[in-house]
Amino acid sequence: MALFGPRALPEICRDLDALEIPPQLSKVEARYYQKLPDKEIECQLCPRQCRLGNKERGYCGVRENSEGTYYTLVYGKACSVHVDPIEKKPFFHFYPGQITLSLATAGCNVNCKFCQNWEISQVRPEQVHHFDFPPRMVVDTAKKYDCPIIAYTYTEPVVFYEYMVDTAKLGRRAGLKSVVVTGGHINPEPLEELISVVEAIKVDLKSFTQDFYDQYVRGKLQPVLEAIKKIAASPIWLEIVYLVIPTLNDSVKEIKNLSRWIKAEVGPDVPLHFSRFHPMYLLRNLPPTPISTLERAHQIAREEGLNYVYIGNVPGHQAESTYCPRCGTLLIKRWGFEVSKINLKDGKCPQCQTPIPGIWD
Amino acid sequence: MAKVIVAHGEILSKNGDINIARLKNIVIKSLRSLFDNLALKEVLLQIFPRPGKVGVKINTIAGKKLSTRPEVALTLSQILAENHPGLSRIIIWDRTNRELKKAGYRLQQRGKIQVFGTDTKGVGYESKLTMTTNIGSLFSHIQSKFIHHSLSLAILKDHGLAGVTAGLKNYFGAIHNPNKYHDQNCDPFVAELCTTPPIKAKHRLTIIDALLVQFHRGPSYHPRWASRENKLIFSLDPVAADHVGWQIIDQLRRRAGLPSLAEENRPPRYLHTAEALGLGHTSTNMEILEVEG
Repeated sequence: MALFGPRALPEICRDLDALEIPPQLSKVEARYYQKLPDKEIECQLCPRQCRLGNKERGYCGVRENSEGTYYTLVYGKACSVHVDPIEKKPFFHFYPGQITLSLATAGCNVNCKFCQNWEISQVRPEQVHHFDFPPRMVVDTAKKYDCPIIAYTYTEPVVFYEYMVDTAKLGRRAGLKSVVVTGGHINPEPLEELISVVEAIKVDLKSFTQDFYDQYVRGKLQPVLEAIKKIAASPIWLEIVYLVIPTLNDSVKEIKNLSRWIKAEVGPDVPLHFSRFHPMYLLRNLPPTPISTLERAHQIAREEGLNYVYIGNVPGHQAESTYCPRCGTLLIKRWGFEVSKINLKDGKCPQCQTPIPGIWD
Repeated sequence: MAKVIVAHGEILSKNGDINIARLKNIVIKSLRSLFDNLALKEVLLQIFPRPGKVGVKINTIAGKKLSTRPEVALTLSQILAENHPGLSRIIIWDRTNRELKKAGYRLQQRGKIQVFGTDTKGVGYESKLTMTTNIGSLFSHIQSKFIHHSLSLAILKDHGLAGVTAGLKNYFGAIHNPNKYHDQNCDPFVAELCTTPPIKAKHRLTIIDALLVQFHRGPSYHPRWASRENKLIFSLDPVAADHVGWQIIDQLRRRAGLPSLAEENRPPRYLHTAEALGLGHTSTNMEILEVEG
């Protein structure tokens, strides 16, 4: 198995610079919306279900009603393109050590006060530099740079749904895998189609209370939980990230409830990542998450019976690595986004033969 | 006590033409009425006591039929330019040049009266966020840096989410992310935005173009529910001006047999929040004067 760490690819940047064009938006008809009388439409892509008059845009800022037809303005308009290790997404049980061609367009369907990428997620497409990067070019670029995986990430891929789905379909035909990094704010029907064209989804579960979603996310918790259950019940791979924010979503009770729900509804083998918060965007008055808080969350989740619990954004922490839940053998050694050792044999622990869930080869 | 002038006259004809002479006369008369008929130059010195540049924030999102009319913005700007020597520049502006042009404006970046959008090269948005409890936005450099005095020259429309869009909500066009503030009937977002320094410290006057009022199915244009009212609303109190606009919309709705905005569960709640935040007054503290022209 090829092992790669993070690597800079100046050539890809040069290639993409050459593609940069003046901000011209796409006008590709959106999927999952309903036409209403008087040129109104209702978007049915995410639980917001924005009802929009002529010339109005949805909450995401990247989908617009024009004369009663709904358009995506960001089809093929990537604003961020990088080669990243899969561990950065993070996926820990999905082709560890592989690299991904990662891309995003502007826009998001929530407004998290702690967003790490708000300069591209909380803006309209015309307010950010973007590249004309249609699906065919994404696939060709991924192949050119030996990326076996395309990742839709950084902002909220649900808002560039059509671009993502078409690219994933094209990529699959070319032998490439697709993975999605999402907040999970998506309606069941489009999620079902998405599941049919990608190989893995990582959901950022922001909290386990609606109050937090009201105050800090501006979204709904229940649809996210439903999306997680739907992905877990499908054949594709699922991982969950929980950004632990001091005093806001880090109580023992909340972590216990979260862990119990995951075990009962998703199963004990889904990887759960507790990530460290850093002050950002509209939430700058809180300190970074203490390591001890992350370790306490890790301990609670393990005690509640989850088998693969990780600590993220703390390079060098031992809970970045994968251990056999049965005998404790170190299976995958990580440092930050680097994978330095993979000690699996046919997807099993080499010591006790316990099968380790994941997509390994 | 807030004073609101509701001016009425045959400005907008049935075929869409604007009677400029009558418009100019009504604007001057209304401005003077705000200050008990002081001379126009005195009035402008009261509104803009210090010299500087004026931003005239217009609303051009809905295209030519339902945007702040160029004739109104230019006539007003000309009156300011000719009667207040301390106003070195008057910038008529909105989010994008594309929307300005579609609404019938000719872009102009030279001279005393200028017209351009935030997306003009070299303009853009601040890189530092302005924050309140519920707002986190980047302001247009026009609002934050280019001007000293701000005038909201809005258009009066029904709004499916906010209830009413008028003078206060017009400032959504001064920030980079208005799409994030339409939940909960835009409450408290409209009010909180208007408490931020780039707006609160600079706002001087609200004028609402109610020549043609979209009283249902707004904010986009539907001729079936648009009424030629030939009114202009003036007030130094931005909350009171919008409150009067709301009443006009509800009157038109009643006349058309439509439920009121409150009955449709979308009254402009942000007006009460704005009052609570000290931005102005709603009905209990208001004097409404009618001006005919």
